[in-house]
Amino acid sequence: MKLNIEGLLVYFPYDYIYPEQYSYMLELKRTLDAKGHGVLEMPSGTGKTISLLSLIVAYQKAYPLEVTKLVYCSRTVPEIEKVVEELRKLMDYYAKQTGVKNDFLALALSSRKNLCIHPEVSSLRFGKEVDGKCHSLTASYIRAQHHSNPCQPVCQFFEEFDAVGRQVPIPPGIFNLDDLKDFGRRKGWCPYFLARYAILHANIVVYSYHYLLDPKIADLVSKELAKKSVVVFDEAHNIDNVCIDSMSVNITRRTLDRCQTNVETLQNTISRIKETDAAKLREEYMRLVEGLKEANVARETDIYLSNPVLPDEILQEAVPGSIRTAEHFVGFIKRFLEYLKARLRIHHVVQESAPQFLKDIYEKVCIDRKPLRFCAERLRSLLRTLEIADIADFSAITLISHFATLVSTYSKGFTIIIEPFEDRTPTIANPVLHFSCMDPSIAIKPVFGRFQSVIITSGTLSPLDIYPRILDFRPVTMASFTMTLARTCLCPLIVGRGNDQVAMTSKFETREDFAVIRNYGNLLLEMSAIVPDGIVAFFTSYIYMENIVASWYEQGILENIQRNKLIFIETQDAAETSMALEKYQEACENGRGAILLSVARGKVSEGIDFVHHFGRAVIMFGVPYVYTQSRILKARLEYLRDQFQIRENDFLTFDAMRHAAQCVGRAIRGKTDYGLMIFADKRYARADKRGKLPRWIQEHLTDGSLNLTIDETVQLSKHFLRQMAQPFRREDQLGLSLLTLEQLQSEDMLQKIAQIAQQA
Amino acid sequence: MASLSEEVLLVVKRVRQRKQDGTLYLMAERIAWGPEGKDRFTVSHLYADIRCQKISPDGKAKIQLQLILHTGESTTFHFSNGSTALKDRDATKELLQQLLPKFKKKANKELEEKNRMLQEDPVLFQLYKDLVVSQVISAEEFWANRLSLNTVEHSLSNNSKQEVGISAAFLADIRPQTDGCNGLRYNLTSDIIESIFRTYPTVKQKYAENVPHNLTEKEFWTRFFQSHYFHRDRISTGQQDIFSECAKQDEKGLKSMVTQGVKNPMVDLLLLEDKTLDEVRDCHGAGGRPTDAPSDQASETSSTDGNSRDSDFFQLPLKKVKLQESIEYDDLQGDSGRKTIALNLKKSDRYSHGPIPLQSQHYTTSQDIINSISIIQHEMRNYKPRLTQVMSSNAASSAITALSPGGLLMQGGGQQTINQLVPTDVQIELKHLYTAAGELLRHFWSCFPVNTPFLEDKLMGHLEEMLQAAYSKFQVWQTRRMMRKT
Repeated sequence: MKLNIEGLLVYFPYDYIYPEQYSYMLELKRTLDAKGHGVLEMPSGTGKTISLLSLIVAYQKAYPLEVTKLVYCSRTVPEIEKVVEELRKLMDYYAKQTGVKNDFLALALSSRKNLCIHPEVSSLRFGKEVDGKCHSLTASYIRAQHHSNPCQPVCQFFEEFDAVGRQVPIPPGIFNLDDLKDFGRRKGWCPYFLARYAILHANIVVYSYHYLLDPKIADLVSKELAKKSVVVFDEAHNIDNVCIDSMSVNITRRTLDRCQTNVETLQNTISRIKETDAAKLREEYMRLVEGLKEANVARETDIYLSNPVLPDEILQEAVPGSIRTAEHFVGFIKRFLEYLKARLRIHHVVQESAPQFLKDIYEKVCIDRKPLRFCAERLRSLLRTLEIADIADFSAITLISHFATLVSTYSKGFTIIIEPFEDRTPTIANPVLHFSCMDPSIAIKPVFGRFQSVIITSGTLSPLDIYPRILDFRPVTMASFTMTLARTCLCPLIVGRGNDQVAMTSKFETREDFAVIRNYGNLLLEMSAIVPDGIVAFFTSYIYMENIVASWYEQGILENIQRNKLIFIETQDAAETSMALEKYQEACENGRGAILLSVARGKVSEGIDFVHHFGRAVIMFGVPYVYTQSRILKARLEYLRDQFQIRENDFLTFDAMRHAAQCVGRAIRGKTDYGLMIFADKRYARADKRGKLPRWIQEHLTDGSLNLTIDETVQLSKHFLRQMAQPFRREDQLGLSLLTLEQLQSEDMLQKIAQIAQQA
Repeated sequence: MASLSEEVLLVVKRVRQRKQDGTLYLMAERIAWGPEGKDRFTVSHLYADIRCQKISPDGKAKIQLQLILHTGESTTFHFSNGSTALKDRDATKELLQQLLPKFKKKANKELEEKNRMLQEDPVLFQLYKDLVVSQVISAEEFWANRLSLNTVEHSLSNNSKQEVGISAAFLADIRPQTDGCNGLRYNLTSDIIESIFRTYPTVKQKYAENVPHNLTEKEFWTRFFQSHYFHRDRISTGQQDIFSECAKQDEKGLKSMVTQGVKNPMVDLLLLEDKTLDEVRDCHGAGGRPTDAPSDQASETSSTDGNSRDSDFFQLPLKKVKLQESIEYDDLQGDSGRKTIALNLKKSDRYSHGPIPLQSQHYTTSQDIINSISIIQHEMRNYKPRLTQVMSSNAASSAITALSPGGLLMQGGGQQTINQLVPTDVQIELKHLYTAAGELLRHFWSCFPVNTPFLEDKLMGHLEEMLQAAYSKFQVWQTRRMMRKT
């Protein structure tokens, strides 16, 4: 249908529309008009993606000079591919309605692993290996060698692309990952480099967060994206953690050992080159004297070594004399390495700030701040000069150099924690240096600064106001949308007690309590008897899950659950869990029914949907608080309190509730879907917890569904399931939660729609 | 010696049989023995024919191994190779122990199947008696075109009867009961055992290997319930536990499944993350520079390119389908969006032109002949004597009377029915003869078209003989009847 969103003609590729989609588009349009940033929460399964795409594409077509590009960031590869498919649907609709051939170029970008078509390289199993091998075939000096020595292997696809691929622009169209590969095969061009080149002039780019948020990657991939772009972060509820991870460095003794070997290799290579080709090293020296500006114009194939953060002033300056010659630099790194080794030789935990660390290093080994800042860039230059092919081997020294640069660049927002052992195994020495970022705004700041509109959206962003605070930006719109429902297809229940009236909670003091564990077991047992097909149960951590399951086994509860359904368990091994997931789905498909025991914050809770019969009930055992004894977390909480005036408890509860909401939200993926959401912890009933759930869940939590016993839960669930089993037709939805164009245009409806969005 | 294609698993020299030195061979499907210096076997048994093996007690001077066949015959081998005799015998025993159960199952299955058919079908049983027991045709021939046809039928009937699955609660149901004096009692029914076997195929294998050669049934199950394999939380008791291997095998199976990966790309957690260029943790490099540089780049790429496209070809559709599924909103879509199944025409011209009437033909084409042959074949395959659906005995006897001397004129005794006329045992015998003859005729007709030398042989010599035998049998019956009458 064709919609009129405040004067903008929007093509929407469906015959019907949800009221909240209309409302969402309105808010989005206002954000774009204001050229500002927005935070929008809309439940999953209400067609968020297609609403976003429809509106922004319409905006791009109407005001081609105002918005030149849409950069859509999602979290997982399947999500990325889904977005492109939805886009394809939209573009097909455009072509059909207007009769004009599509002139948009839209493409997905992913890592080499997902795009490589080189027969040898693409057969490698791990992304790391693919990257390393690719580099060893496409690095500029390798290709230079190939020029003089044809035996030196290079990648034919890259050569082909490099020769002609840049002159001929990729034709308009929608290119998903597989389409890019097909196109690459047809032309004989490397799809990865083609895509990386094409994003510069594409109208729509879909890729993963890291390409924008991880400075090491963003610097190379996304540096030249136009300022007049709209950036969308979908599934953004975890965006702060992504930012933090991209800026943090962990150094173990193993890293240092491997770094040591790296240094030795470098030393040998340098002395060899000195004998044979001293001119090369001199040349590099001259280059470094002239400053980094030129050195920084890296060939795109050399992206493997990149600087985490390059403050502008560094680029203006020349590399300090103390690390300018290759030997001096290696000596410098050696000294730094020895210092780090000494720091790891400790028996108690040390925590210090970056300035403290710098002061200490100056006193102990006389390393200045300035050369440290140039470390990453200097190493990059050296590795290029030495023509080292297999960069994967040099990951350790690269990591150390990143650390050196970061620690000397930022005096705020980071902390250094050195732990001699893991908390769980105090007898095993395993020293780790955490250089931990505490301020997510550092990584995302350039994004907000550069692009005119950044949209943060997800199904669970409550409470909305916390994101602008922790990411340090000022949105022009903040809104949370509810799900309009013709029938209440979600049923959140808070179970607080067992039938024996013992409180159910994963609180630390009582979590080992026999009665609590038994009650949890009974809850799952009872539910397994009444819920059809699939049940997903989430625990707060792997250890907690292991303990509980072992205890259930001893008590014979597990056996009884197996009478009703098959049991599958998520483990930390991704391959194993994938297999379990597939078998779980099989058991749901064939009517056998299954239970998946999973972990909040785990891979399943973040990336897998349980549509329809794959998840008729989600049980959240306990409140998924993050492990609060972690020093990194404590440091972060402190920082949040001091910098953003966010109380520790508020943040912890917010974090726990967003993960709980993520978990239970996995089961509802649309209005025709239905599912139970069981929160099995009495603490959920408290207002401070409940109030942090997304609005679309909170709405359906009545006083009658708080602090239930297991029996009451079973009664309510039975009732709910029986109602949901009734046939559900389009007519039931029409006019309420599903609208035709005429219905949408009625005055009444527009008024109703205005209430859907709740401004924060 | 043995035909070349046979795989020899074990050769044992200096084995005596009937006081003669020779060599024992264990092949893939049979065991054979040949006397020294001659290159043929004087003893050869298929494993399937062997019921069991027996060995002489350990203390005895003569080290022997006896094979007992299903027919009741037995063969004894005497291992006489001095010091290694015992070792030889044990090696043979071990191998036989592994081999026999495999063949036993196969042989038994076939036998069971035949037995079942005979029991279920009295007519067939009678036929079997008439034809096979009286040696009109051999047993093999009798079964040859019956078994194949029946297994098809059997599987069909099986499909309609759905296989019963394993009860979800069977493990919970084998609860031990305490017997009051520090012991546990497990109650096992054959259903439970079947369920255990189906759940843990390795246990079934162990059962076949060990029971009853090494362990009694009771011992086996006692060990099973004591094993850590059953009680996963118990630590392995060590080497004696015959089930420790099962756990290992299960583990291996799971591992191989995991390494194979999953088919549905939407649940593959390994593919979820799209993070590149981060710190390498556990990568030990791809092994330096590639040394095997393809000399001819173009041909290399084109050939392997094709391969990778192939693999994509198999992978893509599922991925596409899953992706499409996951972005679909069935309530937003209008009715026109309903999926329909595309009509797949092999020959579209036939669809658009419709059938053309055939010209009437007065000659038989080769197609007709082939058709009629196939009809005969079909009929023969499905032939069953329908004794109840022949002419009613009234009509039959009136026909007989009409044709008898005097014919219609002999009104008086005419209306006597044949079942009053002929004693029942004669009737039954006649019936049997009729069906037997029918079966022979079926064999006869099923030989057409005669396209193999074997069928020709069967038709020319064999069947005629058989029919002859049948005639003579009929003759015997006839004379007997006459004799009785007189």
